[in-house]
Amino acid sequence: MAKIEHKGKAYEVDEDGFLAKGMEEWDNGWVDYVKSIEGITDMTDEHQKVIDALQEYYKKNGIAPMVRILSKTTGFPLKRIYELFPSGPGKGACKMAGLPKPTGCV
Amino acid sequence: MGYDPENPMKDRITDIGPPHFERFFPALVKKNYGKWLYHEILKPGVLKHVSETGDELYTVRIACARLISIELIRDYCDIADKHADGIMRWTTRNNVEFMVDSAAKVEPLLADLKKHGSMPVGGTGAGISNMVHTQGWIHCHTPATDASGVVKAIMDELFDYFTSMTMPAQVRVALACCLNMCGAVHCSDIAVLGVHRKPPMIDQDLISNVCELPLAIAACPLGAVKPAKGINSEGKEVKSVTVNEEKCMFCGNCYTMCPAMPLADPDGDGIAILVGGKISNSRSMPKFSKMVIPFLPNRPPRWPEVVAAVKNIVEVYAKDAKKYERLGEWAERIGWEMFFEKCNIPFSDKCVDDYRLAYNTWRTSTQFKYTSHIK
Repeated sequence: MAKIEHKGKAYEVDEDGFLAKGMEEWDNGWVDYVKSIEGITDMTDEHQKVIDALQEYYKKNGIAPMVRILSKTTGFPLKRIYELFPSGPGKGACKMAGLPKPTGCV
Repeated sequence: MGYDPENPMKDRITDIGPPHFERFFPALVKKNYGKWLYHEILKPGVLKHVSETGDELYTVRIACARLISIELIRDYCDIADKHADGIMRWTTRNNVEFMVDSAAKVEPLLADLKKHGSMPVGGTGAGISNMVHTQGWIHCHTPATDASGVVKAIMDELFDYFTSMTMPAQVRVALACCLNMCGAVHCSDIAVLGVHRKPPMIDQDLISNVCELPLAIAACPLGAVKPAKGINSEGKEVKSVTVNEEKCMFCGNCYTMCPAMPLADPDGDGIAILVGGKISNSRSMPKFSKMVIPFLPNRPPRWPEVVAAVKNIVEVYAKDAKKYERLGEWAERIGWEMFFEKCNIPFSDKCVDDYRLAYNTWRTSTQFKYTSHIK
């Protein structure tokens, strides 16, 4: 596993840049790092709302929410989620929230 | 402008879809679109379509390895530039077709294809066309066998059937390197399928970080995966799963969902052969292919057992089936017990369905034929 450094803190990541240890290592510095590589200029409350929703669902259920559930709990249609996270809910928002990398035939 | 990583959304073009296919039509196809009257197969690999306007289109089909370099694509383009107004197409079995607008242009095209050396003409009519196949060890992470290697070994042996039309009906051969069955394995006359024979290994150090455990549990078709506490290499207790090895049938679905449950194994993995599937509606309904050989070992680079098994089935079918009869229609007409006898394939308990709807596949009749090939 590779390590990346952002503002003096090291994070263990896999080859796609997802946190290898998940939410154990997750902090605001990580959010700031992902923001810088995902082309997100400024973090808004809406970004935060998506991340909170993902983390809350993951802590409760052990899986990332389905896209429709994410849309329903945040109130953002998929189009808006892509506007907030250009790489999409999986590669963008889940990565920023410190969730495991999406698996399956993606 | 060039892509700017600092500003990824700038000048971004999206949702434009594929280009419209009409842009790449040969002039003669564009002119006669929707007006074709009939077609003939002039000889293996050469088709003639006649339009109601009187125009004739000649198509030459050649085999393609599917996995090809840009060099070979450029070779195709050179041939297309020279003979076919720069236009070519790929078929749904990944063969390549060149189209010319007069009979006089066919022979020079065939001569150039022959000169190239790796553009064999064929794949039409009642022969064996290209094998639909998958990624294998070239690119995928869940295979139980290779794709390109096995396909090359089999097509080398079946090559004469590609360049001729001597079968009772067309024989579709397909390969998938795991039972995700990307492609056409479940509905092909002869199907080559990578299978595992050992349960997954659980990486306790990784599993709780890289896996969404409920997904791994729900991925199992037999309920063999259950949540459990695991002990990682530091002696710490972690959230994990257990696999009931008595229930596991080695499908690998849990590994697809969870990278910490790998199951590939050089001795355990190999190939199963399925036969009798079809997708066309002609004469009989579409059929699923059925497993007849549960396991053959992986023996790269030439897979001799697999090649021999496929060739044997092809030859017995070619000799025994009636004209127009697909392999599955033949096996069902003579009875599967006769299929096994004629092909001299030992029948094993592995071929008896035992998954949920299995009952319907057993024989609830006294109609059968006595066979004796297994002593």
